[in-house]
Amino acid sequence: MATIDFDNVQKSYGEVHAIRDFTLHVEDGDFCVFVGPSGCGKSTALKMLAGLEATSAGSISIGGRDVTELGPGKRDIAMVFQNYALYPHMSVRSNIGFGLKMRGQDKADINRRVEAAAETLELTSYLDRRPRALSGGQRQRVALGRAIVREPSAFLMDEPLSNLDAKLRVQTRSEIVNLQKRLGVTTIYVTHDQVEALTMASKIVVMRGGVIQQIGSPDTLFAEPANIFVAGFIGSPGMNFFRGPVEIENGRAQTRFGEQVVPLSVSPDRLPRGEAIFGIRPEHLKIGGETGGTPVSLGLVESLGTEKILHFPTPEGQAIHSLQKVIGSDDAARDSTTMLARVIDDRRYSDGEHVRVALPEGKVHVFDPETQKALS
Amino acid sequence: MIDFSSPRHRAKFGYLLLAPAVLMMALIIIYPILLSVDISLQDVRIARVGGDREPWTLENYDWLVRSGEFWNAVWVTAKMVLTVGGISLAIGLATALLVNQKFRGRALARLFVALPWAVPEVVATVIWAWMLDSSFGVVNWALLKVGLIGAPIQFASNATAAFFAVCFVMIWKGYPLVSIMLLAGLQSIPEEQYQAARVDGANVWQRFLFITLPSLAPVIGVTAVMTTLWVFRDFAIIYVLTQGGPIGSTTTLSILTFEQSFSFFRMGQGAAVGVVTLVICAFISRALVGRFANSVH
Ligand SMILES: Nc1ncnc2c1ncn2[C@@H]1O[C@H](COP(=O)(O)OP(=O)(O)O)[C@@H](O)[C@H]1O
Ligand SMILES: [Mg+2]
Repeated sequence: MATIDFDNVQKSYGEVHAIRDFTLHVEDGDFCVFVGPSGCGKSTALKMLAGLEATSAGSISIGGRDVTELGPGKRDIAMVFQNYALYPHMSVRSNIGFGLKMRGQDKADINRRVEAAAETLELTSYLDRRPRALSGGQRQRVALGRAIVREPSAFLMDEPLSNLDAKLRVQTRSEIVNLQKRLGVTTIYVTHDQVEALTMASKIVVMRGGVIQQIGSPDTLFAEPANIFVAGFIGSPGMNFFRGPVEIENGRAQTRFGEQVVPLSVSPDRLPRGEAIFGIRPEHLKIGGETGGTPVSLGLVESLGTEKILHFPTPEGQAIHSLQKVIGSDDAARDSTTMLARVIDDRRYSDGEHVRVALPEGKVHVFDPETQKALS
Repeated sequence: MIDFSSPRHRAKFGYLLLAPAVLMMALIIIYPILLSVDISLQDVRIARVGGDREPWTLENYDWLVRSGEFWNAVWVTAKMVLTVGGISLAIGLATALLVNQKFRGRALARLFVALPWAVPEVVATVIWAWMLDSSFGVVNWALLKVGLIGAPIQFASNATAAFFAVCFVMIWKGYPLVSIMLLAGLQSIPEEQYQAARVDGANVWQRFLFITLPSLAPVIGVTAVMTTLWVFRDFAIIYVLTQGGPIGSTTTLSILTFEQSFSFFRMGQGAAVGVVTLVICAFISRALVGRFANSVH
């Protein structure tokens, strides 16, 4: 049981700054997820915490103890690797017990604890097999077993689900969360998948280019993204953006979306003169009203049964062409001239159909076009 | 007309393609073996293919088990295999571990480790024969200068010195291959294994013992077989350096085969030694390959 603190940690590989100004406090028992696009430095941050990589500057503490200068074996942490890193020439039993053996525990004690861990993870009947003779999901559980058997003060996991198929991933996701809840061990979990982050975390750290973008609970990140990157990264699909004028009428700020006048909940003196960037989540768009909103013609319609993703062009002159660089190209379906709406209803939509799209009041996010930070 | 691209007939086409190669192999490998077995069963001095045949007899094998020369050669070969194999493995592993580390000039270090392997065997041996010479050799000169020895070592007439001189040159020539193979083995161990072991609290020595060695076991096995067979087979180094002497102290089975056949012209006995060597080699490779391959999988 331990808190974890990063204090202004830096990491550079020669010229490359992999991590900048990384400061983070994780409470005892938290499930903290580092999320961000590939190459943003998540694994590097985790490896520094594990002691597998040296920090270039700053300090790291686990449970209030400064561990910056300690080796991985002395930090009292356990780690689950993306490819599991099981020892291929050892049985499952020896794999799980290896950490205890290295710490000089006696044989009977090791055996007892290995069996208990195997029980928890339903691995008992596989204990004498080699890792090769296990399925992907079972190997993954052995890797978890190797972590829990040591009863460390923190679990570190680096994309542990990325080698599983989609169905098993969803199932294992909840197993890991339940296990963590039951054991109450502080966990740092790395993933590039924002769905994993939202569903598992009690605290999310969104990273980009080695810099923390925002730290918060899943709800906070979803409802109050700190900048355009976080807004576009979190959510499936991510937020829609458009450019619009900032107008003041009767002391209230408003913008326009096509024909629609959209009142803003941000006070006028906080808004930039002229133009701003606006964001609206696909699930907040109102589709198919008789009046109000603005008429659009639907492009692609992706149907998942009752749930549908509707594609339509951003109103004339409101597309933001520099946005691709900001949000990254993770989301292939998205380009700056297309907006998405997510609807759950029984209506049928067809390509080329004309519908009215309306932005409800209070759901529109405003971003500074210069700094890309959220305004509120 | 058979369509060889259909899955049904693909195998037949494969056999058809293999047939010439198999025939060639049979001719150049199996035939000489059969020929030596045949010769070893005849009481001949100089064998002539197509000449008059002697009747088959076990006389040569009878001589084999009774003669001191054969048992001496077995003993010398065994000692040499163990010495050369063991030390080559140790040096090969040490150098492989060394050049597997990241450091400045690693490419150069790798080149140096591999260098003796690239020198032709006879050339290497001649150079060493000259360096080990008792009157003019640089080795004796250096040892004398440093004061490790009082008089020059007589590599040509001292049995122990001759044996170790041969071993030394064999190791010098043989360890690079071991090193190269083990390096390839080391590079195939995923870095994550070591990271996992470090998180599990294993120190350098424990990581070597529990990760590196077991992962390398199959490569070590194959390498041990190759080195063993190489020592069994090697002729040039011993012949150039000592001609098997003094008093048989470096006469291995292959030197004995050669001596019997071409120095004493008792080809029947020479062939018998050769056949026995072949059988021993076959058993050793089977045993070693089988054991090490099983130890991982
Ligand atoms: N050993 C290394 N040497 C040089 N650059 C590295 C090294 N490890 C990682 N990097 C760089 O640091 C950045 C972050 O990498 P990483 O932490 O692995 O990203 P991810 O978020 O995908 O886990 C990348 O740009 C990567 O190229
Ligand atoms: Mg990574």
